[in-house]
Amino acid sequence: MQDSYRNPWLYGAGWAYLLLVVAALLLPVFYIVYISFNEFGFGARIYTFTFDWYRLIGADTILVASLKWTLALAGAAMITAVPMGLLAAKFYKRTRRKVAFVFLMLSPLFVPADIMGSALLVYFKNLNGIFEGLGDILGVSWFDDWFGLGFITALIGQIIYTVPYAFVLILITMSRYRDQQTEAARGCGATGWQAFWQVEFPQIRVGVFSSLAFVAILSFNEATRTALLKGGFDTFSNVLVAQMLNIGMSGESYAMAGTMTMIAILVIGTILVVTLATAGRAGRKALPKAEPVATAS
Amino acid sequence: MASHPLLRHLAGEDGIRRWAFYVPVAFMVLFFAVPVALTLVWSVFERTIFWMEPGFTLDAYVNFFTSARAENYLFSMIHSAVAVVVAFTIGFPVAVFVRRRVPTAAQHRVILLFIIPFMISELVRVFALRPVLGRNGLLNSLLMKIGITSEPITVILFSNLAVVIGDVVSFLPFMVFAGFLAMEAIERYVFEVCDDLGSNTLRTFKDVIVPLAAPGIFAGSVFIFVNSIGVALVPTILGGPGAVNAGLMVNQAIVALDFPLAMAISAIMMLTLLVLLFIGHRLFDLTKILQPIN
Amino acid sequence: MTSPNETAVEVVDLAKDYGPITALDSVSFSIPRGSYHVLLGPSGGGKTTLLRLIGGFVRPTRGRVLLHGQDVSDAPPNKRPTSMVFQSYALFPHMSVERNVGYGLKLQKMAKEQIREAVDQMLGLVGLEGYNRRMPHELSGGQQQRVQLARSLVLESDILLLDEPLASLDAKLRKDMCIELKRIQEKIGITFIHVTHNQEEAMTIADRIAIIADGRLVEEGSPREVYERPVRRFTADFIGENNIIDGRVTGRNGDRFSIDTGFAEVDVVAVGHDIPTGTEVAISVRSELLQLLRESRAADGRVQTLPATYVEEVYLGLTTLHLVRLPNEIEITVRQISGDMAGSVFQPGQAVQVGWKTAEARLHTE
Repeated sequence: MQDSYRNPWLYGAGWAYLLLVVAALLLPVFYIVYISFNEFGFGARIYTFTFDWYRLIGADTILVASLKWTLALAGAAMITAVPMGLLAAKFYKRTRRKVAFVFLMLSPLFVPADIMGSALLVYFKNLNGIFEGLGDILGVSWFDDWFGLGFITALIGQIIYTVPYAFVLILITMSRYRDQQTEAARGCGATGWQAFWQVEFPQIRVGVFSSLAFVAILSFNEATRTALLKGGFDTFSNVLVAQMLNIGMSGESYAMAGTMTMIAILVIGTILVVTLATAGRAGRKALPKAEPVATAS
Repeated sequence: MASHPLLRHLAGEDGIRRWAFYVPVAFMVLFFAVPVALTLVWSVFERTIFWMEPGFTLDAYVNFFTSARAENYLFSMIHSAVAVVVAFTIGFPVAVFVRRRVPTAAQHRVILLFIIPFMISELVRVFALRPVLGRNGLLNSLLMKIGITSEPITVILFSNLAVVIGDVVSFLPFMVFAGFLAMEAIERYVFEVCDDLGSNTLRTFKDVIVPLAAPGIFAGSVFIFVNSIGVALVPTILGGPGAVNAGLMVNQAIVALDFPLAMAISAIMMLTLLVLLFIGHRLFDLTKILQPIN
Repeated sequence: MTSPNETAVEVVDLAKDYGPITALDSVSFSIPRGSYHVLLGPSGGGKTTLLRLIGGFVRPTRGRVLLHGQDVSDAPPNKRPTSMVFQSYALFPHMSVERNVGYGLKLQKMAKEQIREAVDQMLGLVGLEGYNRRMPHELSGGQQQRVQLARSLVLESDILLLDEPLASLDAKLRKDMCIELKRIQEKIGITFIHVTHNQEEAMTIADRIAIIADGRLVEEGSPREVYERPVRRFTADFIGENNIIDGRVTGRNGDRFSIDTGFAEVDVVAVGHDIPTGTEVAISVRSELLQLLRESRAADGRVQTLPATYVEEVYLGLTTLHLVRLPNEIEITVRQISGDMAGSVFQPGQAVQVGWKTAEARLHTE
């Protein structure tokens, strides 16, 4: 790093500071993972390594059931929010009211979980009332409970929460894509769908896949909106919140937090490794540009 | 087949399919913009025992402003402002360092490091501060080992300090992302000009970087501020007995089945956000943030 | 002029608005089959919009597009007998050269063997034999454009559209590619429609040039016609290095019009024009046809002169520019082969006469 007149010590200090900040953010989390493997839990003077707390989770039927709900919600959020983010990114490219559109798509980030959840809760309750009233007037029960709290309402809450992330991630990968390529494909005889699937999609795949992973994780971690909108079932994080507030810091809650941490790190680690590996491969493949060919005459 | 042009337009090769592109807009309007805007309407509805009914009353607002809630709201705004300043002080230099000193090709990967803490559940990260900040926690045992204190300090956890720490830990990655995005909009030559003119690091930071990155810094700050006021999780898990913020008050009102009050606090919260965004837009033109994705 | 089956492209009253902005305003013209047609004009003038309307990439606000006599106004690009070469970045970066070129044939479900054969043949035509396995990022700019050309040509469309295909290449390479494009077009004999803002490029390759500005078709003709005998003032200003002097018609003698420039009177020949006295007109003379004289020559009617003040000399190697200023403060450029006026050195501020042969000036009424 001696290719400039800059002070190498300062450069090193910069890196040290950066890593310190990352470590400070991660250290507490790693500490609870560490505690979660101690047979005697937090605060004990002795440390005996054990999987017992995790076994306890596996044996807890409530937790296993909640895990199923969590996965179902995450799966449903993935297959709805990501295509919606993709459509939104494509819409952004063609709309003339870009600023207003981006404002609409990103503003959910600025509405805190409890506010958004409560507003949606009241909204759904009202909608339900209106639709039921409509059904009564028409004398049919078909409208009843369309927006009764349950899986669908929880899912809508999660879509609103995750779509902005999917939108931004896909938009960033898409910004490197040139629309001329779509036109070139159309010119080669491709239909609109063929041009998208064979030419555009392979180039924005990274964005789509990482937003799938993002949405999965965000959905998995989400607790507040789901708690307000879910109706009868509990997700994993719902149970964890309840445990922390009611029982306090039990060994089991450490293990639950540990589980959530490890799943998150596993998914993010996979994405990072795959992304960096793909980038590395592309870099190795890039040969120096060939000499221009002499004009054939 | 000479049909009406509009009909041909709709039935054209990519006619019907074009309507799919309006799905996200429709969804966001229907399930985001409308419910958030309606909080204002519901906040003046009449409260009934389990629900509410259409009407016009300012009871909820009277209730808010004449109880401890208004004071609590103000306090949570102060805590949040502190959290913003701390997050900026810690996070923004990271963004500046990465943009200015790290080789261009590696910048995005370095910023990706902050994805890891961001992607671990906020719930877990906030919860994890308990064993660190608590009486027998990591911090206290460290302080006692070094000899700074002989007795564990008990005021750290379950206090306003813990709430501020929790907010900073929760939202710091956003300051780094927003700051980096803002820095990315600044051309590299700007820094070279600064070096050339002999501007020192502090002056460059104050006179060049901060003004140019202002929209991004502002967006990151508003995000942290609003979420610190509105996310109930942090005071619930880390705060002392009286620790309350807007999010928690809304939550408590919902549990108490006082829906108009919950909606009134939500509406006040949203108005706070809109005022902030309006001021920010007036000062820095927030549309500049969109440059990198254009 | 041309019968329908000899017309490759016919556009009728074609217009395109983008919201309040009019990109193209009621253009009608036709392009004969097998010609190399260049759409030339300043950026933002509507020439690319016209090309994209022909290719079906944008839908016209009004008007019709006929390709080989068939109305294709409602057909998407893949249903038109056209293919397009773009400015740059239009190769599929995730496909090799071979797959890029063969993409269109694959969509037509052609057999793999046949595709390979056609691709090899095309790569040969554009001078890229053996580049089959290269990825786009391993090619230089010129090579990428050749691959694009091959990808379009392999489809055997009847009309090839080229949207500023050489704009991203450096000057030397652009010249070579120009000559090669022309060679390829002559060899395969299909219609090429080429959009550019570069005059030299247009002059080099075109059979015919259409000048497009402000969303309108300004003028059309062979390169020689638009260079030597532009009809419109705009064309004279845009093509070549013309000096334009505004004036008013004061009299007429057969095909010869007297023009009052405000400080002197000159005669211009305009055959077949009927311009009433008092009309605002402009005359244009190319800079290389102007002469600098020390004093006014006897007006014998074959030469016209205007008084001027010498400003400065700019030496450019092959040619030298002499800048002079007319009494109305308009600056005039006189271009001479360097050394032609040896001995006649002028001093800045010196009074001179600018002269030209009467037949070499053109009269523009619009």
